[in-house]
Amino acid sequence: MTLLLHGLTPMHWAVAGAAIAAITLALLFVTNRRLGISSGFEDICSLALPLPYFRRRSLLSNRTWRLPFVIGLLIGGFVSAVSSGVWRPTLALGFFDERIGFGPAAKLAWMFVGGLFIGFGTRLGNGCTSGHGIFGMSNLERSSFVTTLAFMAGGIATTNLIYRVIF
Amino acid sequence: MSVLYAALGALFGFVLSRSGAADYGFIQSMFLFTSFQLYGIIATAVVLTSVGLLVLKKRGRTAAGTPLSIEVKPLNRGNALGGLLFGVGWSMAGMCPGPIFVNIGEGKLYAIAALAGAVSGAALLGVLYPKLQGPLHLPKM
Repeated sequence: MTLLLHGLTPMHWAVAGAAIAAITLALLFVTNRRLGISSGFEDICSLALPLPYFRRRSLLSNRTWRLPFVIGLLIGGFVSAVSSGVWRPTLALGFFDERIGFGPAAKLAWMFVGGLFIGFGTRLGNGCTSGHGIFGMSNLERSSFVTTLAFMAGGIATTNLIYRVIF
Repeated sequence: MSVLYAALGALFGFVLSRSGAADYGFIQSMFLFTSFQLYGIIATAVVLTSVGLLVLKKRGRTAAGTPLSIEVKPLNRGNALGGLLFGVGWSMAGMCPGPIFVNIGEGKLYAIAALAGAVSGAALLGVLYPKLQGPLHLPKM
């Protein structure tokens, strides 16, 4: 199996896992920050919405590191693309195109709805794959085991419903 | 400092991009149990991070010598419900939060729609939080 990005062969899982551990530990050891990305959605909200929820001190005090980190993620994806071929905007989605076959507008709507679930769900569950799945489970936190189990169950149920039942 | 965070983020993003963690097909294969790749990544990352955390906690200080502070996430009813909803979205979009940003950087335009949805979803939670707080036992703001 290859990546959608330029048909590349992915790096070995052990190498990727070790690199993620190293970055997570460096973030904590050097800057005293706990890895977590989904709060970045709230950081973006806090730039525009004056709601009390987006004025929490715990949110604003982390915005100063999380926004640059998230911009870094964009840069990482960009560097990955340009260093392996030509950077080209695309709507191609492999598996999805073959089986579901939505046109551009329906595809974007599908992604927006998926995003709604991601944004609402991660913030209700207080974390995502990074903050709960990687950091929280490594730190043996009960809430992280519960949340990770729940999002894996949600993903497994949904994908199996989509690709083994509906399409 | 911002440059350091951006650099760590860029490294993280590069690894997500090249490992399959930000790839629609690999995400679906994980949920269909037809590929081991992402399970291997998560398991390796968790095992190595937990060992590293033990070492760092024993030391108790950061590189600069300030006391290590790790805020543990509270357990409440939002975890299971929010996790389940996030799982639905992860499957639909084929992206979890980090990869949304990585995919935009790669030039995958549909990830912009996913980001717009995710920010809207977070905004919706911010609006509903005072109402959900009681029934779901969520922490005070």
